[in-house]
Amino acid sequence: MTPPGTGATTLQHEASGRTDPDAVDATLAASGDAHAFERLYRGHVNRVASLVRRMMGDEDTDDVIQDVFVRAWQKLATFRGESAFGTWLHRLAVNVILGRRETLGIRRQRHLDGDAVLELVPGRRTTPEISMDFEAAVERLPDGARQVFVLHDVEGYRHEEIAGMLGVATGTSKSQLHRARMALRQHLER
Amino acid sequence: MSDQWTDRLSEYLDGELPPDRRAELEAHLRHCVACGAVLADLKRIVTRAQGLEDRAPERDLWPGVAARIGAAAPGSRRARPSGAPRRRWSFSLPQLAAAGIALMALSGGAAWLLRPLGRVPLASQPSPAATRWEARQLPGQGDGGVLAVAARPRGERSYDAAVADLERVLEAGRGRLDTATVRVIVRNLATIDSAIAQAQRAVAADSANLYLNSHLAETMRRKLELLRQAATLVSSVS
Amino acid sequence: MLLSLVHLALAALALTQQVDTTVSVQQGQRLVVDAYGGDIDVKTWARNAVRVEADAGSRTHVEVVTSAGAVRVRTEGHRGPPSAVDLRITVPVWMGLDMSGVYTDVTVNGVKGPVNVETVQGEVDVTGGAGLVSLRSVEGAVTLKGAKGRIDVHSVNDDVRVSGSSGEIVAESVNGEIVLERVDATSLEATTVNGDVGYDGPIRSGGRYELSSHNGDVTMAVTEQTSASVTVSTFSGEFESAIPVTLRETRKGKRFSFTLGAGSAQVSLESFQGTVRLVRPGAATTSE
Repeated sequence: MTPPGTGATTLQHEASGRTDPDAVDATLAASGDAHAFERLYRGHVNRVASLVRRMMGDEDTDDVIQDVFVRAWQKLATFRGESAFGTWLHRLAVNVILGRRETLGIRRQRHLDGDAVLELVPGRRTTPEISMDFEAAVERLPDGARQVFVLHDVEGYRHEEIAGMLGVATGTSKSQLHRARMALRQHLER
Repeated sequence: MSDQWTDRLSEYLDGELPPDRRAELEAHLRHCVACGAVLADLKRIVTRAQGLEDRAPERDLWPGVAARIGAAAPGSRRARPSGAPRRRWSFSLPQLAAAGIALMALSGGAAWLLRPLGRVPLASQPSPAATRWEARQLPGQGDGGVLAVAARPRGERSYDAAVADLERVLEAGRGRLDTATVRVIVRNLATIDSAIAQAQRAVAADSANLYLNSHLAETMRRKLELLRQAATLVSSVS
Repeated sequence: MLLSLVHLALAALALTQQVDTTVSVQQGQRLVVDAYGGDIDVKTWARNAVRVEADAGSRTHVEVVTSAGAVRVRTEGHRGPPSAVDLRITVPVWMGLDMSGVYTDVTVNGVKGPVNVETVQGEVDVTGGAGLVSLRSVEGAVTLKGAKGRIDVHSVNDDVRVSGSSGEIVAESVNGEIVLERVDATSLEATTVNGDVGYDGPIRSGGRYELSSHNGDVTMAVTEQTSASVTVSTFSGEFESAIPVTLRETRKGKRFSFTLGAGSAQVSLESFQGTVRLVRPGAATTSE
């Protein structure tokens, strides 16, 4: 069906002129519609779960995944549709994950481990599923390198943004990224 | 492996080297096979990273989320909006509190009239803790069960904001619905608005009347529900 | 002349396609139907298979796709919205149904699994259903018979009727009446804005029954054996009872409570400006 031209609202993306269905569900959910929120959950949980898993390494991630959605429910009124809902949710998820790590007392100094990073990634026995091997290798990176790698290479944030999120210098973000990539080289299939 | 050349390979790959450094590195890469191999590896890693697929959690976490947000019964796993039989409670307490209304299940048979004190935050969804309540026991009220409390004009603004948001969605999308459906929705919204107006007048004349207050709250909820249903229709035909 | 008649006949055939597809299914699979216009008619048979029959116009394509969890039937327009397609679907008795349409009347007969139906301008008529039964229409009437479980029936602009069913029931309308007869509800919420509400069925010990309307009358069938704590609330309406009651207390604004028998069920009857009535069985849901 051809969407008719309508006046701009906060729910429309100007470029396409089409209403983002997530944004409609977000409005519904902000008014208390749990079913609309469940639709949003179903549409985005895989991405959120993967982000949580990759950012947090081996830790138990179910609680954090739920925390993200509970926080999103609480903050729905602040979603104004200027970005896509998925983008907004993703940022919120990163904040929840990083905030969680602070309350767990993980110190940011682990970003400065230097060469020790390369030694902490144990070689894994080869598994039939190469992709899982790579992803498992990412999860085994030390915290700082892993977070930067996930945020930059997997999720596409820029170093300036990552530095702000993690509270480190841009240069640190770049060097951590490089260290993570170098450590992962051995897990590429040959 | 770590030297002045390989250390810069990531920045080079990401296009973040200043022009003079980039030229230097490119000159080096032209005759350094080892660095070329490392660069190729880094490219593959980035490609692999960008191609990582999202994976669902091991188990369905929605029931836990639903329980924490006070939503409908867990086990409602449909992708489409479907009404779980307890839909009357799909408003969590914070949402009702935002409308200046709370439904409190009573124990012990005492009846309380609760009114919000102070400002109810308008932009965010207040948690029950953020809304302080004054409790005043009504004389002669002895039935247990669920009672509604006085709706305060200040608290109604969050409800009004939700209604306004949904009306905007509808207005923007009504061209997508056919005219008969639009007529039905408009007519039924008018029916509910008329009922709300009558209930409001009645409450204004008898503000301590628990039935009138709960009836007003319920009718306001019906309006919101109809708007939500209409907005869902709009989104489903877009 | 003959050639052009043949052409016409061929052209007419090309305008409609007959769809008749049968796929085998396993316990646990659902039927999911995503329709637009036309009727959906679902019946059951003893086979573990789903048969989809349809007459589709040339502008419309009927797609039947099987996956691990479901058999999905979709109607799609080649260009723009699909034209009306009447779907006749036969399913195993155990199969859960998940069906939606816009200008779609939905009829279901004989299933014993969960049923979820949504339509906008169409009626819903379901006989059967167990577990979670959720029926919604915006414009049309919703009728349910012989269901068991958690029942959720809604219309916006028309009546909701439930009969011969049992379980936890929520029935809502805005501009329509709600009629519940031979209904054995362990909990009930029946509410409309502009219409009457009538309940005729057992009142279970420990059950909760809430019937309310803004403009219309609210009627509940009781007997001398009924055991319920009843609260009646109205703003400008009246209260009538076919059996003697003793009002425990009268509050300002017409709110009374009284107890029938041991008072073991909780009953709330509310009408803002209509009449609240207690009647004998058989009189609560008499059609006018």
